[in-house]
Amino acid sequence: MGRVPLSYLANRLATLVLTVFIAATLIWIIPRLSPIDPADVMFGRMAAGGGSIENSEAILRGLRERFGLDQPLIVQYLLYLRNTFTLDFGISTAGFPTPVATLVANALPWTVGLMLFSLVVTFFIGNLLGALMAWERTPRLWRIAIPAAMVFTSIPPILSGLLLMYGFSTQLGLFPLTGAYGLNVEPGWTMDFVRSVLHHGFLPAMSIVVVTFGFWALGMRGLMITVQGEDYAVLARAKGLRPRYILYRYMIRNAILPQITAFALKIGLLVAGQVLVERIFAYNGMGKLLYDAILDQDFPVIQGVSFVIILMTALAVFLVDLAYPFIDPRIRHGGAGA
Amino acid sequence: MTGRESSAPETSAPDADGDSARRVRRMRRFDNPWRNPKLIWGAGLLLGIVALGILGRLFWDADLVFTGAGTPRQAPAGFENLRGQAGSWSHPFGTDVSGKDILALLIVGAPNTLYVGVLASLIGMGVGIFLGFSAGFIGGRLDDAIRVGSDVMITIPPLLILVVAQASFGDIGLTAMAVLIAGFAWQSPTRLIRAQALSMRESGYVLMARLSGASTGHIMFREMLPNLVPYLFGSFIANVTTSIVTAVGLEVLGLGPQRVPTLGRVIYDAINSGALIQNLWWWWGIPTVLLAAMFIGLLLINLGLDEVSNPRLRRL
Amino acid sequence: MNILDIGDLSVDFPTSKGVVHAVTGVSLSVPKGRRIGFVGESGSGKTTTALAAMRMLTPPGFVSRGGIHFNSPERINLLELDGESMRRVRLRRISYIPQGAMNSLNPVMRVERQIWDGIVAHEGPADREELRRRSDAALEGVGLDPAAVAHLHPHELSGGMKQRVCIAIGVCLRPDLIIADEPTSALDVITQRHVMRTLREAQGGIGAGLILIGHDMGLMAQSVDDIAVLKKGELVEFGPTRRIIKSPRHPYTRELISSVPLVGGGRFPASAPAKPAAAPRRESGPPLLEFQSVSKSYGGATALRPMSFRLDGEAPRIISVVGQSGSGKTTMGSLMLGFARPTTGRVLFEGGSVPGRSSGERLEFRKRAQAIFQDPYACFNPFYRVDHTLRFPFERFGLSGGPEDTARAMDEACRAVGLAPEAVLGRYPHQLSGGQRQRLIVARALMLSPRLLIADEPVSMVDASLRATILDSIHDLKESHGISIFYITHDLATASHVSDYVMVLHKGHVVEAGPPDAVIGDPRHAYTRLLIDSIPWPDPDREWGSEVDARAALEEIEIQPETVHRGSIPGFELRQG
Repeated sequence: MGRVPLSYLANRLATLVLTVFIAATLIWIIPRLSPIDPADVMFGRMAAGGGSIENSEAILRGLRERFGLDQPLIVQYLLYLRNTFTLDFGISTAGFPTPVATLVANALPWTVGLMLFSLVVTFFIGNLLGALMAWERTPRLWRIAIPAAMVFTSIPPILSGLLLMYGFSTQLGLFPLTGAYGLNVEPGWTMDFVRSVLHHGFLPAMSIVVVTFGFWALGMRGLMITVQGEDYAVLARAKGLRPRYILYRYMIRNAILPQITAFALKIGLLVAGQVLVERIFAYNGMGKLLYDAILDQDFPVIQGVSFVIILMTALAVFLVDLAYPFIDPRIRHGGAGA
Repeated sequence: MTGRESSAPETSAPDADGDSARRVRRMRRFDNPWRNPKLIWGAGLLLGIVALGILGRLFWDADLVFTGAGTPRQAPAGFENLRGQAGSWSHPFGTDVSGKDILALLIVGAPNTLYVGVLASLIGMGVGIFLGFSAGFIGGRLDDAIRVGSDVMITIPPLLILVVAQASFGDIGLTAMAVLIAGFAWQSPTRLIRAQALSMRESGYVLMARLSGASTGHIMFREMLPNLVPYLFGSFIANVTTSIVTAVGLEVLGLGPQRVPTLGRVIYDAINSGALIQNLWWWWGIPTVLLAAMFIGLLLINLGLDEVSNPRLRRL
Repeated sequence: MNILDIGDLSVDFPTSKGVVHAVTGVSLSVPKGRRIGFVGESGSGKTTTALAAMRMLTPPGFVSRGGIHFNSPERINLLELDGESMRRVRLRRISYIPQGAMNSLNPVMRVERQIWDGIVAHEGPADREELRRRSDAALEGVGLDPAAVAHLHPHELSGGMKQRVCIAIGVCLRPDLIIADEPTSALDVITQRHVMRTLREAQGGIGAGLILIGHDMGLMAQSVDDIAVLKKGELVEFGPTRRIIKSPRHPYTRELISSVPLVGGGRFPASAPAKPAAAPRRESGPPLLEFQSVSKSYGGATALRPMSFRLDGEAPRIISVVGQSGSGKTTMGSLMLGFARPTTGRVLFEGGSVPGRSSGERLEFRKRAQAIFQDPYACFNPFYRVDHTLRFPFERFGLSGGPEDTARAMDEACRAVGLAPEAVLGRYPHQLSGGQRQRLIVARALMLSPRLLIADEPVSMVDASLRATILDSIHDLKESHGISIFYITHDLATASHVSDYVMVLHKGHVVEAGPPDAVIGDPRHAYTRLLIDSIPWPDPDREWGSEVDARAALEEIEIQPETVHRGSIPGFELRQG
């Protein structure tokens, strides 16, 4: 195997760091541009609920110090950066005194699990169906069925989620309406728990899959049509290779490359869509955490969740970029590629 | 729409002359690319929604969007709610839990939702055209900066930054929300136009224009831009879709304009009031279907445009 | 015994404007072991006929009449085979080497695997040792070193190497017939000769028949036993190569043969010798174009080594710059036009630096130095009617005295290059043929009447029969309009016909320069000799150079880096460094 050029690695790594840095900065600056001071809001809520907490004064002072509001802005900013990059997002004001990091750590596995399934599975299904749409040997029935299934493409997953919820939970009662697992099962590696998780996860996952596979399928179809016209596809047929072999090793293998680039670009939007799905299904992931935090105006949690999701997205893009040279030899030998 | 032409990849055996004539007739279907069924259907759907907004205000009372306009929880005309009360034509699409008329909400909300999407996309396109051309045409350091900037900003999920923004700014207007969303709608057009400008910069006719003593402005706007129109239009439509998705997403999280009805806001209220459990399906269902129609319309337009600019795709 | 019988074959392409008869009633046989050439210009049906035999016509094309019989092992009609049987015929019985060596290999697959999959598809799975042994043998058979090449991906190979890998794939199953579709169209003459030799040896080695598709009579004369001439889908002449070349019967065949420019075959246009007195003399002043130790590198790669020359421009001259791809000739053109900045040295036009500092200077420079590019299609903005390309500079340079004046000038320029104005003006570029488009670009240059014209491969993308006319028009720009011209080309033969002075470029360095009679008629530098020897001559009796000579020449080039000066002409001076 050839080695990945260092310049490519350095380039991708720099993009990763820059992305995370800019995101962190935006999350810090935007609230400070607002005429409403988030700290005031927070203090207000704390004060309102403070009657029942004995040492509320001390907590408020502690918060003020924590935010360093008496210090110059630049110091506040650097302090914030240091905390953020060590994943210390402070303490939830609504769920006092739980650290934001703990809340995020509890929610993260659910989101990552759902994301792995919905993003990756959708990518594979979508591309396979798209390839079949363009392939001249696809059975007639499939050629009609696949485009028909794509009517829902580009509808945001929240809408499909609502429809699926209504149809399969409210009306048919086949799947639970909300939550990530049943209230009557203990979390743990038991059969009951796993079954409950799969049962609860099915509808959220499906609501993402049914509306996003079409995007990949359409892109793949266009690329396949381009690849079919390439000289190497002509030579492959002239070589008398088996049609299925040509489909996989010559056509899909080449057409998938731009799709993977598109995947990296699209992750951000897909993650956002999933956050919303988690919110409507009250799935125990980051989406629900974020929504609850918005309701409670729990600023540290909003910032923490936003940052972690952006960090995850950037990492996912970075991983795709790292994998890319291994599937496209031209990047491997061609030096810096973008 | 059955893909018959392409299902004959192998050369067929000798055939009668009539066969050729039939094939010619079949090809003729593609003569005028603008008479594309997808384009027509898509445009029709969107025009229908716009017409709903315009005609609706003429024929229906938009003030019915306010609380207490009718009896709460009324089913659409021809249906019954859980209590067995039949819907009436005074509220053809029913009412919500506080008695707001659903039809009026659609008539006011749908144009608002479209407005946010179109405005955000227009601003995003404007910025994208400017940055993309600057990067692709001027090149050098500026190109590096713009390229890295758009690469970085395309990775960040816009929803989350917007959540932070709207949570800190509180209630905002439709236009302000569109401007905020536009902050994440310029990256794709920038990348697209940069790539096109880069390849066009070396193309024969741009060289010819330079030889003819054309100014940079002439080359950008008179020589390059007209050829970019199909791409720009496609990119614009895709951007409208993404912007509406983002706007609806924010609204469903309870952010965005609090006092102006939008389709997303209606759905938010419905979910929050337990419309799913109470089986008030018309409350969330009808706005959802209308939004879905909007997205399908946009998708069809985009697919149609793809086929217009790339004839090879025209075989589905 | 005939290996392939094409009988009364017709191929139709239904389009929205009616049925296009791509091939009409072609009958032809290919005897075993014999080499047949299909010659014709684009649209003649030569590739379509071959693809019909492979059953690989692109939809909506289909065979409307006739049969294609293949006689090994027994007589079968290829058109009646089912898909699976036809698949088994491909590569094993008939192999096809497609046009465009650049993209014929799967970019994500190693070279050896692309040989293996063909073997496996026809002979079933085999162990890796066996496959490697066969792929190594196939690569060796086309003169490639398996140890160096087998593990590479296609983008790591040169164009010539890629095409040889395609030949290796085509012969590794020892088919009975090889169809090679313009296998050398993307290659330079030196590589072309090498690849053609490889193909002939590989084909001769397995005793297969060969159908060679091409448009170049010279290449055919050197490569095949029989020639079939096709025109607009019909077979107009068929016979042994010697007979066709020596005494062509059909006028179209004669036209094809005469369109091959011959080195030393007399200057054309026929109206020459040049009459310098007829050309308007320019006032003396600073030299028209001057290179002062100009060099150019891109990143670390040197495109052009330091070079100095001076073109006075008092009397118009045509200076040819001849070189293969990568020689730096196009870089020279970009430098002259100010599209690229020299890395060292200065480019001066009429004493001022190119392209000029202020916008006024630049406009003045553009007005006086114009160009014709290789691809006549790309030069027109598809959004506008072709008039735009002619009218815009005319008005921009202030040459127009009003819309009517512009229209009159456009009409005149079109007529001067042999175009009927009403047939071309007011149309969109895609409605015109390549030849019409390129003549319009010449007309544009004529309208602007610059002092200097850079013509970068102006005829390489135009059908052979039109090349002479266009070169004629360009030559006329010098003769009647007093325009000095740099003619940049890969083609020594046309350079020898039109130019007053020839510079041969190799790897960014002038290896030989002087009047064409000396440089091309009697080359002294090994590289020039190699170039001339590599040109396929439309004469079956003439030897097409030898491999040994080519090796020797390439070695000699390394040890003889100085420019060989072969005399000078008034008004142009080339200096070392």
